[in-house]
Amino acid sequence: MIRTNRRKLALTSAVLAVVAMTASSLPAQAASDPGVTSTSIKLGITVPMTGIAAPGYNKIPGAMKAYFDYVNANGGVNGRKITLVIKDDQYIPTTAVAKANELILKDKVFALVGTLGTASTKAISASTQLAKRGIPSLFVNTGFSGFADKKAYPTTFSILPSYQMEAKIMGKFLKDKYDGKKLALIYQDDDFGRDALAGFKQAGVSFTTAIPYASGSQSLPATGAGWISKLKAAGTEVTVLFGVSSASTAALANAYAAGYKTQWVLGSVGGDATTIAASNKAYVPLLFGAKGFSFAPAPSDSADEYVKLFQSIYASAQPTQTFDNNVVAGMSNAFLAVQAIKAAGSNLTRAGLIKTIETKGASLANPFLTPLGYSATSHIGATGYWIGTYDQTGALKPDGGKYTVYTTDSGNGPVVESSYKRPAMPAKGLPN
Amino acid sequence: MKISTRKSRFFTTVAAAALVATAVVAIPSTAQAADPQCATVKFVTQCAGAGSDGAPYLMIAAANFNGTVFIWSHGIRPAINIPATLAPVGPYTITNAAEPGPLTSVGDMSVVNALVAAGYGVAGSGYSRQSINATEALKANVELIAAFKKKFTTTSKVIAWGNSLGAMHTQKLVETNPELVDGAVLACPAANPNDALIAYFGDALYGFKAYFDPSIKVGGYSTDPVVRQQEQLANIGKVLTVLGKLSAGLSSGAWPDTASPAGKALQAAGIPSRSALLAVGLMAGIPTRSKHVDGTSGPTGAAETYPLAVAPAVAILENMGTVGVAGTLLLADGELLAGGKVYDNSKTDYAARISAERDIFSFALSGNSAVDGILAALAATPRETADASAVAKIPSLIGLKGSITKPTVMIATESDEYTPASIAQWYVDNYDAQFAAAKDAAIAAAKKSRNYQAPVKKLVTLWAKTAPKYSKFTAAGSPDLSATPGAGTGHCLYTSAQWLAAAKMIASAVNTGKFPNQGPIVTAAKKVGLSYDNKFRVPTFKALS
Repeated sequence: MIRTNRRKLALTSAVLAVVAMTASSLPAQAASDPGVTSTSIKLGITVPMTGIAAPGYNKIPGAMKAYFDYVNANGGVNGRKITLVIKDDQYIPTTAVAKANELILKDKVFALVGTLGTASTKAISASTQLAKRGIPSLFVNTGFSGFADKKAYPTTFSILPSYQMEAKIMGKFLKDKYDGKKLALIYQDDDFGRDALAGFKQAGVSFTTAIPYASGSQSLPATGAGWISKLKAAGTEVTVLFGVSSASTAALANAYAAGYKTQWVLGSVGGDATTIAASNKAYVPLLFGAKGFSFAPAPSDSADEYVKLFQSIYASAQPTQTFDNNVVAGMSNAFLAVQAIKAAGSNLTRAGLIKTIETKGASLANPFLTPLGYSATSHIGATGYWIGTYDQTGALKPDGGKYTVYTTDSGNGPVVESSYKRPAMPAKGLPN
Repeated sequence: MKISTRKSRFFTTVAAAALVATAVVAIPSTAQAADPQCATVKFVTQCAGAGSDGAPYLMIAAANFNGTVFIWSHGIRPAINIPATLAPVGPYTITNAAEPGPLTSVGDMSVVNALVAAGYGVAGSGYSRQSINATEALKANVELIAAFKKKFTTTSKVIAWGNSLGAMHTQKLVETNPELVDGAVLACPAANPNDALIAYFGDALYGFKAYFDPSIKVGGYSTDPVVRQQEQLANIGKVLTVLGKLSAGLSSGAWPDTASPAGKALQAAGIPSRSALLAVGLMAGIPTRSKHVDGTSGPTGAAETYPLAVAPAVAILENMGTVGVAGTLLLADGELLAGGKVYDNSKTDYAARISAERDIFSFALSGNSAVDGILAALAATPRETADASAVAKIPSLIGLKGSITKPTVMIATESDEYTPASIAQWYVDNYDAQFAAAKDAAIAAAKKSRNYQAPVKKLVTLWAKTAPKYSKFTAAGSPDLSATPGAGTGHCLYTSAQWLAAAKMIASAVNTGKFPNQGPIVTAAKKVGLSYDNKFRVPTFKALS
């Protein structure tokens, strides 16, 4: 008997040891995930609050915080209040890495949210070991198609449609609307632009003039002037600008100075009137008649229930700030984050949150006018665009007076008109 | 027992006082005999001797010697004399002077003094040959351990430690003679996994040759010792000259007048020289942060675009000084020992090398189209092909398995330009795989024996992480090279406190058979400005990724 008991004890010990080892190799559980307690969740964002890309983008964290505060004031998410730690990366990727490291190691955030910029997002992912650490990077503010690749970026989720999707939809529009015209393209000469070139190629659009610019160089005085002289020399009739708002500003400013006129077609990233106005209000009217693309409701569309709610929240939180695209982007980002956290349940873990977005993300409530594409194999966010025209105030209004949304993919799929009907907003826009 | 304890404390106090008073610098300068010459002053015994190949060594222990000795392997020293005309690289005269422990600055024996005062023995050889000397170092270290044990007969534990190339010697000693060593400290370690370190230096020099001066040598040094030395000195001079010209053209983008035709074509296309310089750095894997340039700051009044457009290239510029000089010396010496060319880039895909970073440094590289142009320009410069027989000899010269079989503390610097942090990462990745295999084996064994014996962690890596911001600028707007280097930069710039923390940690592990739990290590590391973070990673070698 004694021997048998001893054997049983030894066997039990061995089993327990193996169980312990196996358990230790599993992803961290709630108790050990940083940044979450029974009453709080700490999120972190790194964005350009100063520097060349700050105008406009620096409103995103404030907008996110305004929505989180609204949710907190109404009981939080599953009883937890959200705090947002904001870091200024100056739009310098290596600085973004340092700031993300601070968020992860010093502030011990539960997840990153809303990281802005393709290069910064790539740098953070590579240098801070997000995947290895299992840290969710929620709803990055970049449309680089690569971030939808779950294998390459297993903990990162896009929120924007990919730039490739945008270029495909834009390409179809160009062919339909400006067939036979002399087309020119100004594009950011990195992954942003590379996605665009791939999309235009798939759409079968070719440009008589293509002008690449290195990200950041749009801030040099000579850059924009050089574009305009090239456009003039080429006799361009329609000019597509696939870049950030500071590039749009440089283009419009120099066109204004040179008295140059063209039909502008602006990508979704570069068409923010507030950012352009921050440089010089005189440039805003130059937007008049330009074509633009968006996947969210227009900031001026007070009839939209989300916009109406966001306007109300933002007016209380930031009464001196203009409500614009960046605010809608920030609040939409925060809204989706709250929905995802809510759906992940009360036993909140990093691994659980990632799994939730993969399995339920496509059906989460959100303000966008296009379907979300989250799945077990794709981390793409919104999947389409509506097309509009800028009025004299710089507001983008949908063509035909209503949002006609086109969807596609980042591959060879066709561009199709979407029949998607956005579900009604949850009561009071809260995670109920 | 009480008497013994008091005695021990007394000796410690006296020994410490004696060391403070004398400092361990009064060392016999030469020793001809096989038996060391020893002198004891104020309870501290210092011995100087020479190995069988004439390598001088030093051994020191106090009356309170606790039985544990630290065997030091010093870092690389050039194998040729370098004249003052090549300042700041020269003047240098070949020296085999023995080093008993790490020197945090010239003549600073504070680490050695502290260890001896604490009861440890210290010893180190100067080696009979400088530069690549793994064979000589191994022989010297084995003999030194025997000599120390012979002189200090109560020796019970041997800890091998070293920095840079000395860390390679340390690891080699552990791998070759595990019976002689109980633990190790590898500081800013050198290693050449799959010839990645050779590629690191060679790629950098090849890039300089391709863009900035076609007469720069990447390899193919003369076998004549006099000519070979002249060639090395000339090459160092050319690298320094190009660096000076690149520095002058940082803002304007001007190219050196020695630029290759391909470089001049890039210049004509409006691509600034700093973009090509940064591309070279990224191709080789040189850190984009240097001792005095954080790569993200600009001088007061500089354009807002400076951090994006210029700063990373300035860091490469500073780091390339070390890489260009060290690369020249090491490749030349490697060829001498291996009997032919050792660097080979005939199959290197430089586009792949920078694919992950071309967006991150987009502005500084002048955009994708410019990068494509920079890469295309490489086609004009013939690739280097190594001699197969020489390559085959490399493992015997500087080869390591990289397996960790004894308790080991590794200290690594995130932005080390000489022995890149990728080497430490190679060790870490190797050990992770090794530990995982040990765990699997233990589980398999437990299934049979029903008694699980968990493997013991043998490697602790302490990182000197690079601070985000530390650049200082002169009134003229240049990086202030006289400023204190930024934390986590430079080669082996560890403080006395950091060395001693590593020494204390390994000594404890050697005595207890294991490292403490994570908490005490984190605390001990933090106290001296280092970081213990198992999930921290640096990029792997470009040649291996």
